[in-house]
Amino acid sequence: MSPRFVLTKLLRACLTLVLAVTFVFVVLRMSGDPVTQMLPDDTPAAVITQYRAMWGLDRPLPEQYLRYVAGLVRGDFGFSFRDDRPALEIVLERLPMTLELGLTALALTLLLGLGAGILASLNRGNAIDHATMAFTIFGHSMPNFFLGILLILLFAMTWRVLPSSGAGSIEHLIMPAVTLGTSYAATVGRFTRSSLLEVLHQPFMRTARAKGVPFGRRIMGHALPNAGIPIVTVVGLRIGALIGGAVVVESVFAWPGVGQLLVNAVAFRDLAVVQTVVLLIAFTMVVVNFLVDILYGWLDPRIGAGRREAQA
Amino acid sequence: MSTSVDPILTEPETQSTRRQRRLPVVVSLCSAWLVLVLITAIGADLIAPYGYAEQSLLNRLKPPAFLGGDPAYVLGTDGLGRDVFSRLLYALRTSVLIAFCGTLIGSVIGTMLGFLAAHFRGWVDEIVMLLVDFQASMPFLIIALAILAFFGNSFELFLIVVGFYGWEVYARLTRGLVLQANAQGYAFAVRTLGVHPFRIYVRHVLPNILSVLVVQVTLNFPELILLETSLSFLGLGVQPPETSLGLMLGEGRNYIATAWWMAIPAGVVIFLTTLSVSLLGDWLRDRLDPTLRDADQ
Repeated sequence: MSPRFVLTKLLRACLTLVLAVTFVFVVLRMSGDPVTQMLPDDTPAAVITQYRAMWGLDRPLPEQYLRYVAGLVRGDFGFSFRDDRPALEIVLERLPMTLELGLTALALTLLLGLGAGILASLNRGNAIDHATMAFTIFGHSMPNFFLGILLILLFAMTWRVLPSSGAGSIEHLIMPAVTLGTSYAATVGRFTRSSLLEVLHQPFMRTARAKGVPFGRRIMGHALPNAGIPIVTVVGLRIGALIGGAVVVESVFAWPGVGQLLVNAVAFRDLAVVQTVVLLIAFTMVVVNFLVDILYGWLDPRIGAGRREAQA
Repeated sequence: MSTSVDPILTEPETQSTRRQRRLPVVVSLCSAWLVLVLITAIGADLIAPYGYAEQSLLNRLKPPAFLGGDPAYVLGTDGLGRDVFSRLLYALRTSVLIAFCGTLIGSVIGTMLGFLAAHFRGWVDEIVMLLVDFQASMPFLIIALAILAFFGNSFELFLIVVGFYGWEVYARLTRGLVLQANAQGYAFAVRTLGVHPFRIYVRHVLPNILSVLVVQVTLNFPELILLETSLSFLGLGVQPPETSLGLMLGEGRNYIATAWWMAIPAGVVIFLTTLSVSLLGDWLRDRLDPTLRDADQ
């Protein structure tokens, strides 16, 4: 992989991050004056001016922007007025729970999605293929909150085998992870199937077979890496959806993660927490996209060799 | 829910994929369901036996008629004694309306930006594509939540925010298609005749790329329904006393143990609607543009 390729991607990642920070700053400033929002209506004008000076709101916008960015770099994401604690602290506290849920769901997605895709493409046209594809259509159209409620109704209310909400044990993790993973597994499954189908008929697959390469190694070693680019792309794209989905699923199952925190913060308009979560997610997405780009270069050396990216 | 159609990812057509995969029976069922949804959405006032906010506290939590409930309430009543069936009809209207407006806003803005980027190239193109990349890399649900938090929720703002969903996919698609079209003979021919670019785009290029955009609408529409219902489900979208399918599910989940009929019908309607549009879209995609086959969104 050429250093130029990595550098270009890194630059792009930083640019996206700057854009995200700017977006939050603009929205924050457009949403109104925090001083007048916080203080009662009959506050004397002198007090308002003093507060504005104290928070640096009387300075020109570019300076405010730079101060804002400098604050973020120092880890100053503002104070949550509900908890009276730094917003960053509150968010970081919740992060492990979300990671636990998200990574489990991601593992499930890959396992189910890749499995279903491989299974369907090898059984093209027969009942297994149709059944798998029916599952992907089902998973794709099913709203995750409805799936969650159905699971609760069945497993927690009717059969009473799993806890309906909360966290703390493996049993608590099962339903949220399945709910979150299903729709993404469906998409990954569909993509794996179609890109594998494309590869399976390539001459190099026939050659491998003629050479006597065992079946498993043909699929794992020859077909999958060549079908990998679209699959990696869709998994990368879906990470964003996974985060969005986690917000909903955490609310359904009262999972004490960042998503639930965000929903509550939005409901109470606790802006410091909202902006911290948004920036954290933006950062995560930038890192994920960067890794996906690097993975492209590794999967397909032609891309990594510094060939200029052809924009569609 | 963040998605994009990437033309690079589409599968080239092979002989073996060239067969009808789904029975038209499925397609007609889906169409029938969607027609029913549309009629219901338009005629909710006429069909619904009760108003959507009409309470009858003496008739709280009545089970559906087919489970031995009051025959006057086909799908039972909710915690405030409101008729679930009537609310379902009105909720459907709200959700469909939002999804329609959303599709319109997103597709028009996205397509226009795509045309602009392809026409001017240079820095206009760079900026549009930068915004597209940024949008594609941020989960839309999160952006929507942030904007609703910062500006406070109102129906108009909610409609606009939801409307922006998916604009980047239209923009990227249109830009690529227009660039392609510009390089083709017919666009060049009309251009040499001295036709104004605007006219070339509207009269000649747009009709040629419309089929791909229509397919994108069928991918976009169910996602919009899911976005709206998700936000409403979280209590951050459509606000009571108005109702939407997501809101009904959200309100119903607190009663799930005792009165499941409050939530389940709304969920089933969402599921069937998104399913129908997706299946119909798949079929349409096969018919309109064989090269897009199997390209999942």
